[in-house]
Amino acid sequence: MFRLRILGRYLHSEILVLPARVLALVFIAALLVLPLFSGDSYLLMVLILTAIFTMYAVSWDLLAGYAGQISLGHALFFGVGAYTAALLNTKLGLSPAFGIPLGAVTAMTSGLLVGVPCLRLRRHYLALATLAFPLMLTGIVFAFPEFTGGELGIYAITRLAATRVVEYYIAIGTMLLVVALLWKLTTSRVGLIFHAIREDEVVVRALGIDTIRYKLLAFMVSGLVAGLSGALYAHFLRTAGPSNLDLFMSFHPVIWTIFGGAATIYGPVTGVFLLFPALEYLRAVPEYRMLIFALLILLVLRLLPGGLAPWIRDRLEKQCPNCRMNNAFVRSTCRACRSQLTP
Amino acid sequence: MIFADILIDGLVRSGVYAMLALGFALVFGVGRVLNLAHTAFFMVASYGIFYFVGIGTGMPLAIVLSSIGVVAVGLLLYKLFLESVREMEATVLIASLASAVLLQELMLLFFGRQYGRVPEVFSGFTRILGVRVGNQELATLALAVLCLVGMWVLLSRTRLGLAIRTSAQDPEVANLMGINVSRVVQVVVALGILLAALAGAAVAPLITVEPHLWMDRLVIVLAAVVLGGLGSLKGSILGAVILAFAEAFVVFLLPGGSYLRTAVAMAIMLGVFLARPEGLFGAGIEEES
Amino acid sequence: MKAIVRLVAVFLLVLGVIGCAQESIRVGIVGPMGYMPGEQHWQGALMAAEEINEAGGITIGDRAYRLELVRVDSNELHSVSDAVIAVERAITGQRVDFLVGGYRSEAVFPMTEVAVDHGKIFLIAGAAADTLLKGRVDEDYDRYKYLFRVTPIRSTDLARLSILLLIDVVETFRDQLGIDRPRVAVVAERAEWAEELVRRVETLISAPLPHGLGGEHVGTWRPSALASDVRGELTAIERAGAHIIYTAFSGPVGVPFGREWGRLEIPAATVGINVQAQSGKWLEDTHGHGAYTATAGIYARDVAVTPATVSFVEEFVEQFDELPLYTAATYDAVHILAAAIAEADSLLADDIVSALEDTDYPGTMARFVFDDLHDLMWGPGYATGLGVQWVDDRAQAFWPRGWHPDPVNFPDLTVTYPGTIPYQIPPWVVDHWGSVEQ
Repeated sequence: MFRLRILGRYLHSEILVLPARVLALVFIAALLVLPLFSGDSYLLMVLILTAIFTMYAVSWDLLAGYAGQISLGHALFFGVGAYTAALLNTKLGLSPAFGIPLGAVTAMTSGLLVGVPCLRLRRHYLALATLAFPLMLTGIVFAFPEFTGGELGIYAITRLAATRVVEYYIAIGTMLLVVALLWKLTTSRVGLIFHAIREDEVVVRALGIDTIRYKLLAFMVSGLVAGLSGALYAHFLRTAGPSNLDLFMSFHPVIWTIFGGAATIYGPVTGVFLLFPALEYLRAVPEYRMLIFALLILLVLRLLPGGLAPWIRDRLEKQCPNCRMNNAFVRSTCRACRSQLTP
Repeated sequence: MIFADILIDGLVRSGVYAMLALGFALVFGVGRVLNLAHTAFFMVASYGIFYFVGIGTGMPLAIVLSSIGVVAVGLLLYKLFLESVREMEATVLIASLASAVLLQELMLLFFGRQYGRVPEVFSGFTRILGVRVGNQELATLALAVLCLVGMWVLLSRTRLGLAIRTSAQDPEVANLMGINVSRVVQVVVALGILLAALAGAAVAPLITVEPHLWMDRLVIVLAAVVLGGLGSLKGSILGAVILAFAEAFVVFLLPGGSYLRTAVAMAIMLGVFLARPEGLFGAGIEEES
Repeated sequence: MKAIVRLVAVFLLVLGVIGCAQESIRVGIVGPMGYMPGEQHWQGALMAAEEINEAGGITIGDRAYRLELVRVDSNELHSVSDAVIAVERAITGQRVDFLVGGYRSEAVFPMTEVAVDHGKIFLIAGAAADTLLKGRVDEDYDRYKYLFRVTPIRSTDLARLSILLLIDVVETFRDQLGIDRPRVAVVAERAEWAEELVRRVETLISAPLPHGLGGEHVGTWRPSALASDVRGELTAIERAGAHIIYTAFSGPVGVPFGREWGRLEIPAATVGINVQAQSGKWLEDTHGHGAYTATAGIYARDVAVTPATVSFVEEFVEQFDELPLYTAATYDAVHILAAAIAEADSLLADDIVSALEDTDYPGTMARFVFDDLHDLMWGPGYATGLGVQWVDDRAQAFWPRGWHPDPVNFPDLTVTYPGTIPYQIPPWVVDHWGSVEQ
């Protein structure tokens, strides 16, 4: 009873006061109860893939949005996760419960391997250098077709779970957990240092902070999460193939994140949850599907260069000029210091 | 004998790569815009040739018309979607990528799934050192050399070239000197697109014109430009030549592995990076920021 | 009052729609609809469905059902997840009862997984990998019994066919140019399906007659299936002194290869598999330089594989202004499906599977009989495929023509399809090797 009251108070003072947080809570709750209302396996499939790609996008946001290490080769981590889980499953008979985490860990290692040589590269150079990694892995995949399946990929992988609803809860649960953990990480001291490295690495180093360690950390965590999503993807679709390493597989998380708003974590979540289902709606007009998609992205970037989610958040909340506390847009005085809020 | 093969094959490959890389490097060097739609302009230009030759304008007029058209479309896209987000690197990447997809889909819409074919202007082939080289390829190579020389003259011998070089070196000082930097950037963007358009026009008879052909060229161009050092013009040309010859080496010395062409090109780029993080001719990092 | 009338009207309308819906069987045609193969999936199926409906549909019990086709754009060339979602949507959203199609093997694996999850019959029409059926239907019959392949013939049979074509060309070189030990170069795209084939061809080329080709293997080149520039490979092949180039291409690389080969007049004949050369637009694709290219194929004009072939090909060209590709054999697939449903006299998938297993259907690309793997039976009297060569501005079949499928057991058995003409060595190759000293 007492605990409940604490929870109630927390809800009241920390969540209900801010529209964006209410929105997030409603969103999470809706995702969790959805299968109770609709068992439509097409809808669930779209949402499962959306959840998997959300993790992928968020991992890019951590590395590029926060730490400023723009990667155009993120498909490497996704593909390493997918191929590792697939190979462990088909060659060694490992169950998804072990294979998926191992896939993620392997992708984390690949993050380290990519991160070390890339430490010396800045900005555009880094972006373009990382582009090379998935293409090189594609070369390796085709060089050993007996092992990797070449263009056919690896198939006959164990299904993620026996029913669509269970798969849904695995995907959505993992996604919510990962997003929460990354949110925690980015609002911690580490996140602050990531921000600072992006803005001015020299200054951060001058403060006595070992930036190399933090950059590698960003690469590893990002690789881990992207690998996790790749491994889930492989077990969900029951295949892992060279299309996982495509140029566009690398571009997708960038599109979703920039569209939703970079360096926010909730931005890429918004981006994927809007854009991925949008592509499904656009199936109604197959000839114009990609055209409308591209136009949509261009228009949003043109009108809201900071991304969609931060713009919405700014409409819903305003910052107190005095104490920097966020307030709901309906308030005229700050909820903390009572000072006047500018309309 | 095999070295003659490699030499000829590498040279033929170099021409188009160099034209594309130079245009890309120019736009980046002066405008600081990493334009992923660069090779999409190349693609649209080859469609332009396909269209104009199809309605019977003849090749020279087709090249002129499609170049003008592509430059106009490119400038429009630049003004609409890229100029305002120039300062945000990741946003530029996505805006230019979306522009490329937009162009790709528009071509698909206008020309359908019917692939384009452009007849050669110069048919037949010539034997050089025992290697069969198509006359169209020789013409393409000649056009590439012409364009590169023209660009060099423009940059080093004209007032516009001076303004461009000044703006590239230090936009703020250039601004103080009375140069309208954003106008210069627009001119450079137009020049870059023009190079891409001419390259597209030159190779149109040698390729199957289809909406997705910009993607694999984009990878090579990016690698070449980065290899040479971002923003360095001679670096980008050198990078293009190196990658072209690397591909030729792979094909002739490792016949069972010629599918590894792209992977090897990428490995070379990374190798150079490990030794010189700023590319072959790039400004040092300190100078860059 | 008005409101009630309107309500009743709507109610009746709904009833009517439901009534009609029950009268139709929905078949999803799956393919990359933005591209030629997918377009032909659709066109072939459409022709068949129209014929079936005009003839009164399919009768089950005492009710006649119409066939209703649903266009399922898989976008599989660009996104595997798109393809999988499209199939799921077709089954659960668009309520299709059967699926026909598929093109890119990497996408067909997960698409068929979704279909069998729902217990839906999927007739594969467009992907050749053996393992789409082998290792699935035989090892887990209850799960995968819903899968059958209608077109093309499986990879290993395609490989057999292409080797028979190579033998044909080698013999032509012996007979016409007097080259006893022809030098053969192998060019195969780097792909899993080609690995085994390349190994077999390499050993066969240099193995002595009669079991081998009695030729000389001068090298193997492996470009990417997506390569757009293969001039280097061609130069190297010429340097190697090849008389014949054995090709194995399924991807777009086939077009630049055929184009540059003809334009640079590389003095070696090409034969083997080049899927791009099966397209009716091959000569335009190659700017006219692809003439004399020879490939394994499924359809050619004026060649009667079965009595139904010629009229189908003519009708298809008439309607769509295209030569049918192997994906257009969805025409046969839809007919086979309709026949099986009628035979089973039921809409239950299990009954129809049994009827499909007993299929013996004279189609347009072959006589269709399925083996234990639910794959197409290959061989004389069943599906064989064709050897097709581009001569006189059109695709003409040169094989089977005097083919001895089993010289040991049935020395008198020869197979020749009406309408085939002999293979022709490209004139510039004749000029080159006719004049050059051996």
